[in-house]
Amino acid sequence: MILEAVNVTYEYPDGTRALKNVNFNVEKGQMVALLGPNGAGKSTLFLHFNGVLKPKKGQIRVEGEPIHYTKEGLMKVRQKVGIVFQNPDDQLFAPTVKEDVAFGPFNLGLGLDEIERRVKDSLRKVGMLGFEDKPPHHLSGGEKKRVAIAGILAMNPQIMVLDEPTSGLDPRGASHIMRLLYKLNKEGMTIIIATHDVDMAPLYADKIYIISNGEIIKEGTPREVFKDVKTIRGANLRLPRIAHLMEILEKEDRLPFNKPYPLTIGEARKRLLDKWRIIKAPSHPG
Amino acid sequence: MNISTDFYAHHNKLNRIPPMVKLSWGILTMLFSLLSPSPIIPIIVAVVMSFIIVLIAGIPSRYYLKFISVPFTFGFLTLVLMALFFGVKPSSVGFYWFRVYLDGLHTGFLAFSRIIGGFTCLAFLSLTTPVNEIFKQLEKIKMPRIIIEIALLMYRMIFIFLEEASTMYNAQETRLGYNSIRSSIKSLGLLASNLFIRSWLQGERVYQAMETRCYNGEIPTMKIHETDNKWIILVIAFEITLIIGVYFTRTIKII
Repeated sequence: MILEAVNVTYEYPDGTRALKNVNFNVEKGQMVALLGPNGAGKSTLFLHFNGVLKPKKGQIRVEGEPIHYTKEGLMKVRQKVGIVFQNPDDQLFAPTVKEDVAFGPFNLGLGLDEIERRVKDSLRKVGMLGFEDKPPHHLSGGEKKRVAIAGILAMNPQIMVLDEPTSGLDPRGASHIMRLLYKLNKEGMTIIIATHDVDMAPLYADKIYIISNGEIIKEGTPREVFKDVKTIRGANLRLPRIAHLMEILEKEDRLPFNKPYPLTIGEARKRLLDKWRIIKAPSHPG
Repeated sequence: MNISTDFYAHHNKLNRIPPMVKLSWGILTMLFSLLSPSPIIPIIVAVVMSFIIVLIAGIPSRYYLKFISVPFTFGFLTLVLMALFFGVKPSSVGFYWFRVYLDGLHTGFLAFSRIIGGFTCLAFLSLTTPVNEIFKQLEKIKMPRIIIEIALLMYRMIFIFLEEASTMYNAQETRLGYNSIRSSIKSLGLLASNLFIRSWLQGERVYQAMETRCYNGEIPTMKIHETDNKWIILVIAFEITLIIGVYFTRTIKII
């Protein structure tokens, strides 16, 4: 386990319980989605992962080791676990792109040459080379997001945690970000994504957690999780559109699509072609 | 969101010139133009600076004229008021019971020329040099870090809050929030207090995001490129000429 939350409970200063006994495990190299409606506690849980918030009860372990809430301990864990915030304007504070990306590496105490190299590398990875001297307010939403990701990449983390990485982006911008994350994951980075986009999650996630009112109410592979339609709908979420279509075709139109419903376009296509072949087969003997 | 001034500061033909050169050029020229006891030097400065801004830096003249129209109007009003109310030597020119005072007109014109001269220098700075570069230069001349850090964070936040303020303003306008003077005052008050609360929350989130990247109370800066000698010589030559000009024109009066 590269990251574990064990029985984490968190209360806001006014006593509201934002997280109740949360258990959350991520294995190295996995891509995990934390699915939940607005206000379920996704962001609060994420801020625990590198020690910005401290649990009232329970423990966060990174590579099996509990976080030490001392200056050195936090420094260590923040280098390993990078968080990309939902609103890039919360994260980009420096007057130019380059200085913003360099902020993390500088704080790690690296040399100037190494910093330059890392800034270049991470801007190249997110496709933002050539924007070094631009001020953030001259960038589009998608570009800001990519610079925010570069700022975390430049710290060379092992785990990247992203809060709603595609919210507020146009479809092309969103798929650009998802492809980038997919690539980073293939290169070995562990990625955790908070989202309420149920259509997107089954496309990339090895594992899905569903959080509602500060509690993890379901976990498993996308197929396992979306099989439990009742729980999904109870948490103010819904089935992916494709699965919903299949459900309607089965229940209303009595077409032979049974559970588990396909979750992605690829799965649905395969299922449809299979059925089609069965129907068509007799008319093409030989 | 583009504030045009900021946009031009990043996109003009003088971008490659070291910021220290532009900073010292702007500040020193402004200083000498203000020191000049005759209106001649400030007016020459105003003409030279406008020439540089429009023809060399390539700022559209229409935008530039709009940019200086406010201080120009202000200067002109000063001139008129001083000519009419400040002085002891009345002239024969006048209307009704107003008389134009000769000495008033003289000081008024000097004030006018100084406003125009000084402002064109500021316009030169703000239209050709990005704010962050100016602050980096100030750090070089030993301005305390904490002031520069706060200033830079404020500068970044201005754009975020302008955007939020304009969104809120539009939302209020959609619901007729600015239909009468009474509702305008009320809406503006709501907007301001809301913006205050939002900036507070935003500050908290920015701090958390910085903490995530190991913030320890200090924002490091990138290396500053070195200044080229030929530019320094140019600045020094121009400023010396200006001082000599100030000296020789000290007694010349235009009006």
